Amino acid sequence: MRILLLAHPLPYGRGSVKRIAVCLTVALLFGLFIPLAAQNPPVPPPGAAPAQTTQTTPPAPSTAPAAADDKAKDAAAPSPVPSTEADISGWIDFGYRWRSGVNGSLETYRSIVNLGSGPKLFGADFTLIDPKKRFFDTMHVLASGWGGDPYGTFHLDASKAKRYRFDVDYRDLSYFNNLPSYADPLLTRGIMLDEQSFDTRRHIGSYSLELLPGNWFVPFVAYERDANSGTGVLAFVQNSNEYAVPTTLSDRTNLYRGGVRFELRRFHATIEEGGTTFSSAQNLFQSPGAANPGNSSAPVFGQTLDLSSLAAAYGITGSSTYSKALFTSNAFSWMDVYGQFLFSQPSSNVHYQESATGNLYLPSEIVFYQSEQYLVSAAAKLPHTTVNLGTEIRPLKRFRLTESWLTDRMHDAGNSASAQTIVPLGGAQQTAQLLASSLVSNYNQTETNLFLDVTDHLTLRGGYRYVWGDASDAVLPQGGELTGIEHALLRRNVGLGGVVFRPTPKLLLTVEGEVASSSGVYFNTSLYNYQKLRTQARYKATNSLTVALDFTYLNNQNPTPGINYDFHSHQEAASVFWSPSNGKIFTFQGSYSFSSLRSDILYLVPQTLTQATSIYADNAHTATALFTLNLGHLGVVAPKLTAGGSLFISKGSLPTSYYQPMAKLWVPVSKHAQAFAQWWFYGYGEAFNPYEGFGTHLAAVGLRYTR
Amino acid sequence: MPSIRCMRSIRGVLLSALFVRAALGQDAAPAPPASPYVGSEACGVCHEDIAKAFAKTPHHVADGTDKKRGFDGKACESCHGPGAKHAGSADAADIRNPGKLTAAAVDKICLTCHLNQPTHIGRLGSSHAKDQVGCTTCHTIHATGSEVLVVRKTEAVNKLCEGCHLTVAAQFQQPFHHKLPEGAMSCVDCHNPHGSMRLAMTQSFGANEPECLNCHGDKRGPFTFEHGPVRFEGCSTCHAAHGSANPRMLDRPVVQQVCLECHANLPNLNTKGTIGVVPPAFHDLLSPRYQNCTVCHQKIHGSYVDRNLLK
Repeated sequence: MRILLLAHPLPYGRGSVKRIAVCLTVALLFGLFIPLAAQNPPVPPPGAAPAQTTQTTPPAPSTAPAAADDKAKDAAAPSPVPSTEADISGWIDFGYRWRSGVNGSLETYRSIVNLGSGPKLFGADFTLIDPKKRFFDTMHVLASGWGGDPYGTFHLDASKAKRYRFDVDYRDLSYFNNLPSYADPLLTRGIMLDEQSFDTRRHIGSYSLELLPGNWFVPFVAYERDANSGTGVLAFVQNSNEYAVPTTLSDRTNLYRGGVRFELRRFHATIEEGGTTFSSAQNLFQSPGAANPGNSSAPVFGQTLDLSSLAAAYGITGSSTYSKALFTSNAFSWMDVYGQFLFSQPSSNVHYQESATGNLYLPSEIVFYQSEQYLVSAAAKLPHTTVNLGTEIRPLKRFRLTESWLTDRMHDAGNSASAQTIVPLGGAQQTAQLLASSLVSNYNQTETNLFLDVTDHLTLRGGYRYVWGDASDAVLPQGGELTGIEHALLRRNVGLGGVVFRPTPKLLLTVEGEVASSSGVYFNTSLYNYQKLRTQARYKATNSLTVALDFTYLNNQNPTPGINYDFHSHQEAASVFWSPSNGKIFTFQGSYSFSSLRSDILYLVPQTLTQATSIYADNAHTATALFTLNLGHLGVVAPKLTAGGSLFISKGSLPTSYYQPMAKLWVPVSKHAQAFAQWWFYGYGEAFNPYEGFGTHLAAVGLRYTR
Repeated sequence: MPSIRCMRSIRGVLLSALFVRAALGQDAAPAPPASPYVGSEACGVCHEDIAKAFAKTPHHVADGTDKKRGFDGKACESCHGPGAKHAGSADAADIRNPGKLTAAAVDKICLTCHLNQPTHIGRLGSSHAKDQVGCTTCHTIHATGSEVLVVRKTEAVNKLCEGCHLTVAAQFQQPFHHKLPEGAMSCVDCHNPHGSMRLAMTQSFGANEPECLNCHGDKRGPFTFEHGPVRFEGCSTCHAAHGSANPRMLDRPVVQQVCLECHANLPNLNTKGTIGVVPPAFHDLLSPRYQNCTVCHQKIHGSYVDRNLLK
């Protein structure tokens, strides 16, 4: 099983020849650029403050015409660059990264970090402008994390005014998750096996084309694809025992959509139609051979249960259509109106087949059997309608009123037909079952807010939200452990308030809060009687120093007998950004956050059928810091050093620590190139599961080419 | 007759006067009312850098085409207001600087053109609108390159949001998180900063399905046997989407604590009871076998084939 999980495409511990070749390439590049550095004058270090594009100080009236004349002369001077040449600006970072051996759990490292060694395209960011505007006016290209990294992204957008806008977004993401402690009932027996582990790769692509942007009539089409495939471990659950087995899984979702926007001066409408196709296949298997004892080794009536072979397969297909209609209108100078109608109806069909052999047990019949076949055909449909209307009315200059209404109605209906054949010693037994399921939600919300601009610097708001609805969940005929027929009502009154205070352009203070009282909710942990508060403050003390504070608080209580849920959380954060002399010497940015969470709820202890309180508590400290030092001119180069990182330390139900210090050195080597060297460390620890901790160093060298 | 002569005399005097004035020069003629606008070209004479940069931005299109709003050739003044007085005095006090206006005033300028656009849907209900977060808080009108109008690179987007949402940024420093710090995602992949009808200004998949399905298509269903919270209250019922110490980014680090808070085994006899408490299960929670509920109830997001979400 572990071999299966380690069979990941990242080139860990391999490709030494390739690494050597890339090292040589990087060394050659350095060799080429270092002489260039000696020939070129020093350039400002990367990350220096961008050129001021804000309004410049106007010249004195007496000198303005003269200055204008000079500029006109400059403009008339012939450009050294032909005006028809495409203007390309941007940068590309590439290089090589090394990872040290993982000190501790490689599985955990790969679940959290998963960066490997090898040649990398760390990032690229280019903008192309075509002065002739032949095929496009502007094109942006962004990319990051290519070369075997777990998160590769690519983005391209191109546009031509009044003609089109084209966007491409592609991501290649790997998902590796295998922590021995996470889902391992066998841990106490010394077996390190996460029974819910995955090693998959997801490809997400999005392509959209908008025609005639900026016109009153804008058609658009788009295609999106989300594909995932890989391997993992899952438990095959069989009546009295569950057996960890390998699994393969894949799924594909294609989304097609198109529509048209009407953009008029006082009115806008969008009509969009779309549809999806979905397919998914999952296989669980165990080759005939050694018996799998499963998670329970306790004998049943003197017999030991096991699974000797398994082949289970899901074949799932789905499709949906959706309709979307949106409008906004500035009906009058004192009133805006908006609304939307959304409807979707996804459906699915599944065929599941399973064949298992071993010494298996059916507790409801108190019978042991040696093989079983299980077939299921099922289907589901989920019509879902949402309507939303709102308005803003401005009867007075300093007074605004907003009103919105939302209804969301969803009705999932499913049915399944299953047939099971078990083969005990006495001969085959067959059972069949028909089930119907229903999940209904009717959610409604109305909200009113009043805004009053007391002064140009102070805005107060107050409002009221009423939420109501009902939900039900049913499976017929009744039976089973978790599902039956349940129904719940939602009734919630919420008072809203807020203050925005900006006494000077340098200081901003925002406070917003909610106080709610409910008489019914869907779940024990739903927001019931709660108080929510958020405050933010930002102060720009000087042009080089900015301080910000953020505070959030939530207190939720459900005093209903039998629930008695009590939840408190708060989080405080502060950040500072200090960049004296516009970052010419150094820049520092840092933040600190403390969060605290406590959740208590009653539950029934199965062994004694008595009530007890489930308590969860967590206190966490988080800090980040980044210090950038411009080292000045050392000879002909002006290097820059960045150092910092982040830490997370929590105490409570699962004490955890996670450290990510780093340092990076930039050395300009030519007018257009800067070399960099970077070091990271990742350290992770769990107090209760120390075997899952790890520490790893990574180092990289590379080059940034800037144009 | 004398009156006719009189009229002729007057006409003759007036015509003579006109000829004299014409002979002296046109300056003497009464001038039409001066336009308060000077046009973008005039702005570029002094603000050359900005004008050159602005020519590379999408707003520049107003200079060539926006006749219906009267901004053709006046792109600068479409935001800064009439510039004739400022052009004459070169005094910063004589021109509107949106960078120094209140958020509501800035929004009013932007919405002159952008009010009736798709991004306006949900704007009024958004916390950004409620808390007076103006358009220029995120949008930089004069910037060029890949940051024209608004940053696009994922790290830059996240940095921008982090400027205000400090507590959220801290949550991403937890070991298991959506890969924003790594640059694989940005805040706007999940949130619509212009507002949405969904909680926390989240995006949607298709028309009205949760934004999480944009990437987690395998969780979409519809399932024959649904897990109610997923549909009723969304993924955040169980998941801490920004970050968690739990490998599946659960609200609580231990799976059974997440499950127990709803499936507390205490049937609520209240007629307005909550969902998920009946019928109670009697697993021995002290046994390692039952401490991670999802080992068996592995199709926790919904099952196509099993009512107990076992397969």
